[in-house]
Amino acid sequence: MSREWKIKAVLVIITAAVMAIGGFQLYSHRHYMTPIIAGPGVTKATKLSEFFKGLKGTKADTNVFFLEGKEEGGKILIIANTHSNEPAAILTALVFLENAVVDKGTLIIIPQFNNSGGRNTKPGDGYPLYFEIPTEWGNKKFRMGNRNASPLDQWPDPDVYIHYPDRQLLSYLDVRNTNRTWPGRPNGPLMEQVTYGAMQIMRQEKVDIAIDIHGAETMFPVTNCIVAPEKAMRIATMTSLTVKAREGFDNHVEPSPQGFRGLSHREIGDYSDALPFLLEAPTPFLDQPTGPKSVDFLLDGKDPFLVKLSKKRKLFVPYDETGWPMDKRVGQHCSVILEIIRQYSKKFPNKQLKIRNIPRYAEVVKNGVGHYFHNPNETDKKDIYYN
Amino acid sequence: MNIKNLKKWLGSFIFIGGLLFIFFSPGMAGTEIPKTKLPVLITSAGQSPDVMTINIVAEEAEIKYDYCDVPTAELLGAGVGLADKEPGPGFHVEINSDLDKFPKGTPYKTIIFAIGASLKGMGASGLTVESEISRLKELIDYCKKNNIFIIAAHVGGTSKRGAPGSDNERMIDTVVPFSDYIIVTKDSDNDGRFSKIAEEKGIPLTQIDYALDLVDIFKQIFQ
Ligand SMILES: [Zn+2]
Repeated sequence: MSREWKIKAVLVIITAAVMAIGGFQLYSHRHYMTPIIAGPGVTKATKLSEFFKGLKGTKADTNVFFLEGKEEGGKILIIANTHSNEPAAILTALVFLENAVVDKGTLIIIPQFNNSGGRNTKPGDGYPLYFEIPTEWGNKKFRMGNRNASPLDQWPDPDVYIHYPDRQLLSYLDVRNTNRTWPGRPNGPLMEQVTYGAMQIMRQEKVDIAIDIHGAETMFPVTNCIVAPEKAMRIATMTSLTVKAREGFDNHVEPSPQGFRGLSHREIGDYSDALPFLLEAPTPFLDQPTGPKSVDFLLDGKDPFLVKLSKKRKLFVPYDETGWPMDKRVGQHCSVILEIIRQYSKKFPNKQLKIRNIPRYAEVVKNGVGHYFHNPNETDKKDIYYN
Repeated sequence: MNIKNLKKWLGSFIFIGGLLFIFFSPGMAGTEIPKTKLPVLITSAGQSPDVMTINIVAEEAEIKYDYCDVPTAELLGAGVGLADKEPGPGFHVEINSDLDKFPKGTPYKTIIFAIGASLKGMGASGLTVESEISRLKELIDYCKKNNIFIIAAHVGGTSKRGAPGSDNERMIDTVVPFSDYIIVTKDSDNDGRFSKIAEEKGIPLTQIDYALDLVDIFKQIFQ
C-alpha cells in the first residue's frame, strides 16, 4: 500500500470511529428513560394519544397524569418541556407530580410535552446530553433536550412554516416547535398533532387554567415574567403583585400579542375556555454570548460574560456572580403556579382548587429541588413511569 | 399563673401588639391617608401599561371605577358613563360605576392618574409626548375648576423613571405638582423626587413598599 493510501485508510477509520461513538451516544440519549414517580395525588396515568389517537405509536406520544380531588372544583393543566432545553419546567412539573395532594378540583400534568424534542440535542451549541439533580438518595439523571422536535420524527421541514389556521408565515424551524404549532390540527405535521391533543384535553375535560412553563434568555425582554392574554390579565397581574409583596421576587406581566400566532398563551385562550399563562424564568444557559454550555452552567446559571453584560446594563434581569440557580427558577415557578391557583379560586369560588404539599419559592431555594424527588428504588413499581 | 393573671397578661400582650402594629404598619409610610369620594375615573398619564395594574388593584379593593385611557376634558365633564363613548383602537373605555347610586352624567369626584410614559402606548392612541402633555394639562385644569380630587400614582419603579426632561419625568412634572394626593412605590421614589414635590407643595404622600399595598390604600381613601 502506498503512503497516500495509508493516510486515506487512517482518515476513513478515524471518521468511522467518530461517527460510531457519536452515533452511539446520540442513540443512547434518544432512548434514555428517566423514571418518574406518581405521587400520592395521582389518580390516573394515561397518554396524550388517549385524547388524539393519531399520536399512538409515535415518538411524540407522551405521559399525561391526572390528580383528581375528592371534591369537584376547577381544573388546571400544567404543561412542561414544551421546550426541552428549558428544564426548570420538567423539574417543577415533577415537584407537583410527586408531591401534590389535591383536595378539591383536578390537576393534570404533562411533564414532557414535546417528547421528540426531549430526545433531540443541539450539537452546534455543544449542549450536554444529560444533567443530574442532587437528591438525598443520590443523583437523579435527566436528558437535556432541545427547543424543537427531532427531525428523525418530523421531516422534511418546509421553506417557511405556514401557521394553521391563521396562515401567518413563521420560520421553517417553527414547524417542529410546540410553542408555534398551537392550536394544531389532527391531519397536520406531527407537532400540530401534539398541540391538537392538548387542545382536546382542554376541551374534553373543560380545563379552566392552562400553564405552560418555560425559561428565557436574560438578554431577551420577555423573561422573568407571566405572559397572559387579555382574559387572563387580571389573575396574572394579581399573581405578579402578590409574589412580589409576599415572597420578594419579581415576575412582571407581559401581554400576549394578538398578532403573533401559534403560541400557547394566545391560541389556548382563543380556541378553548381555559385561561392560559406562560411562565418564563431567566435561563442564562440560553443566552448566546456565554462561556461553554456546561452542565454546571445549566444548573447554577453563572457566567462571567453575562456578569460583564449586566454591568453594561444589557440584561433584562438583575444578574451578578451568584448567577440564576435552578432552585430559584423552580421555586419561582412553584410559587407563581400556586398563586395563580389561589387568585383563580378567589375570583371563581364555585371552581375552587385546593392543592397541598407543594413548596413555595423560599423553601425550594432553601432545600434544593432534589429534596422533593423520591427514590425510585424505594417506590412501589406500580407508581414508577418512564419518561 | 392562674387564669385571671393569664387573661391580664394576654390582654396587655394584645394591647402592646396593637400599638406595635400601628407604629410599624406594614408597607406604608408618610402622611395620613386623605379621604375622597366616588365616582372615580382612572386614567393614564403617559399611556404605560401601569394603568392596568391600577385598574386591577381597584377591582381587587372592590372600588367601582370608570376607566378611559385617553379622555379629553370634555369627556371627563360628561361624568359617569363617559357619554356612552364606544371603545375603539387606541381608545379604551370601561364603565363599572354603580349606576343606581351615580346615574350616567353624575360628575366625577375623583380622578386617578397612573403615571408612566410608553411611546408604544402613546403611539397606539395616536399621541405624541407633546399632545399627551397638553391633553393632561387640560384635564388637570378642568379638575381644578370643578373640584375633582386628583390622585397621582406612580407604581412602575425605576423602569418608569428617567433622566430629567425624559418622557417619564415630563409626565411626572405635568401631573404630580398639581395633585391632591401622591401614592408612590419606594422604588419609584428612591431618589426622593416625589417626596420633594410633596414637601414643597404641601401635598400628602404615601410611600408603599409594593404595588399590592394599593389595595388597602384604595379601601381607605374611598371608605
Ligand atoms: Zn420556551
